[in-house]
Amino acid sequence: MISFQNVSLEYRLGKYALENLSFDLKSGSFTFLTGHSGAGKSSLLQLIARLTRPTSGDIQIGNIIYSELGVRQERALRQQMGIVFQDNQLLHDRNVFDNIALPLIIGGYQFDDIKLRVNAALAKVGLEQRGSEKPINLSGGEQQRVGIARAVVARPKLLLADEPTGNLDSEISQEIMQLLKHFNASGVTVVFATHDEHLLQTYPFQRLTLSNGQLVNDESTQSAHGSRKRSSTRKVY
Amino acid sequence: MRTKPEPDALDGSGARWTYTRRGYALSQSLRQLKQQRIASLGTLLMLGITLALPVILYFAYLNLATLGHRSLEGESITTYLRTNVSDIAGAELAESWSTREDVARTDYLSKEQSLAMLGEASDISSVIALLGVNPLPGAIVVYPQITDVATGSTDRLAEVLRSIPEVERVQLDLRWVRRLAAAISLLAWIGGLLAVFLTLSALLVITNTIRLELARRKSELEVANLLGAPRHFMNRPIIYTGAVYGLLGGLLASITGLMVLNAVQSPADTLSSLYQNEFTVSMPTMTQILLVISVCVCLGLIGAVSSLYRPSQHFRQ
Repeated sequence: MISFQNVSLEYRLGKYALENLSFDLKSGSFTFLTGHSGAGKSSLLQLIARLTRPTSGDIQIGNIIYSELGVRQERALRQQMGIVFQDNQLLHDRNVFDNIALPLIIGGYQFDDIKLRVNAALAKVGLEQRGSEKPINLSGGEQQRVGIARAVVARPKLLLADEPTGNLDSEISQEIMQLLKHFNASGVTVVFATHDEHLLQTYPFQRLTLSNGQLVNDESTQSAHGSRKRSSTRKVY
Repeated sequence: MRTKPEPDALDGSGARWTYTRRGYALSQSLRQLKQQRIASLGTLLMLGITLALPVILYFAYLNLATLGHRSLEGESITTYLRTNVSDIAGAELAESWSTREDVARTDYLSKEQSLAMLGEASDISSVIALLGVNPLPGAIVVYPQITDVATGSTDRLAEVLRSIPEVERVQLDLRWVRRLAAAISLLAWIGGLLAVFLTLSALLVITNTIRLELARRKSELEVANLLGAPRHFMNRPIIYTGAVYGLLGGLLASITGLMVLNAVQSPADTLSSLYQNEFTVSMPTMTQILLVISVCVCLGLIGAVSSLYRPSQHFRQ
């Protein structure tokens, strides 16, 4: 589903955030994107979300070739993805319901559909009774769950999570992980950037490890379909 | 025992219309006004006051233009006929002049009517009665077609009338009309320039307000951008904010203008009556008020669009 071919991202002349990456991720997979701080995890996610453009190389999702996309098509593509951020990026001047409804309003959904989907998303993240609350009144874990609900409310096929557990304690991190696992089980491809060793040890999903902007050999642990095998991170599947 | 009901999340916090793209944009604009009450009120007052003067000047110009037109309307050329021209011949002459293209209408004053008018206006009728005969000639009052004084068409008409053999004398005094027209023209120019400067000030106020609004909404715009919102979706609330500022500023300016006109109406009418002029200060029509408000809304839109130029570049990705 996601294919990177010799992708590089230069942020300053001669300085690369990502260098010559090539890999393929299958549809429906769950992939940990790991590496130290500044390794290029967020840059890679931004490339997938088309928030930034590669200096060279080709990126493809399904039949969509990124280099052929116009600005409008890029935005339309982003509407089909769910993105979860470390700092959850919620709007604190409106309530939880309206935060989750935002992608649907952007997508031009009808009100009845919005109501249905938002309430379904709230139920999935266990916040049915908190829709009318302002995010500031929620705990960090609840806020992150709202972020996840917003990311999945439009039922995307791809969910990008940029260190969503970075600011949360271990117990809440497990809750968030369980949620993402649940969505992955329903067919959503998940790319989860983290450097949380505990999570990486607990959940044996495949890894894509970055170091100084380059993919490094790593032990692939388990595919999204549950089979355990060894493979290069350059060709995860 | 009554318990506090659970908060109802099922229907969202806003009205149904606020969950459409345009409704969302409008609700965000109105939310901003509501949330920043004091700041918004201050901006609106500043806009209202800045726009009020051009609006007052516009309303005043409309009245002065009417005054000038009425002055021309009342303008006439009095032609005194020779004493040997009979009333019948004089009346025929008046009728024939009225068919001219540059003449709106004519009134013939017979010798008797002239005498009666003189008697009303002065106390020399007893002296004239002693003469035994009416020495006054017949007169034709010619009302020219209303044209711009500056074109000289009335002067030309007076010249033509002077050359007619039956005419003894032509009396025409356009000096004060010319002065009035020139004064109105000068006022219109000064007022127009002032209006342009003040309108530009209002535009700057709107632009600056919206730039501040953009800075305040930066996080929201960033989130919308990350969620794949099209540029018009992000720009629309800002454009609506400009239109709302323009609308409310225009309304405030119009109300101020109407209040000022209302305040000067009575003294102006008193002054007008002292000069035996039928001129009265009239209130602007609904169309004129709507025109003012529309122009203000356009100003708001222009201010918003010009503010958006750079942020749109910023969020182009």
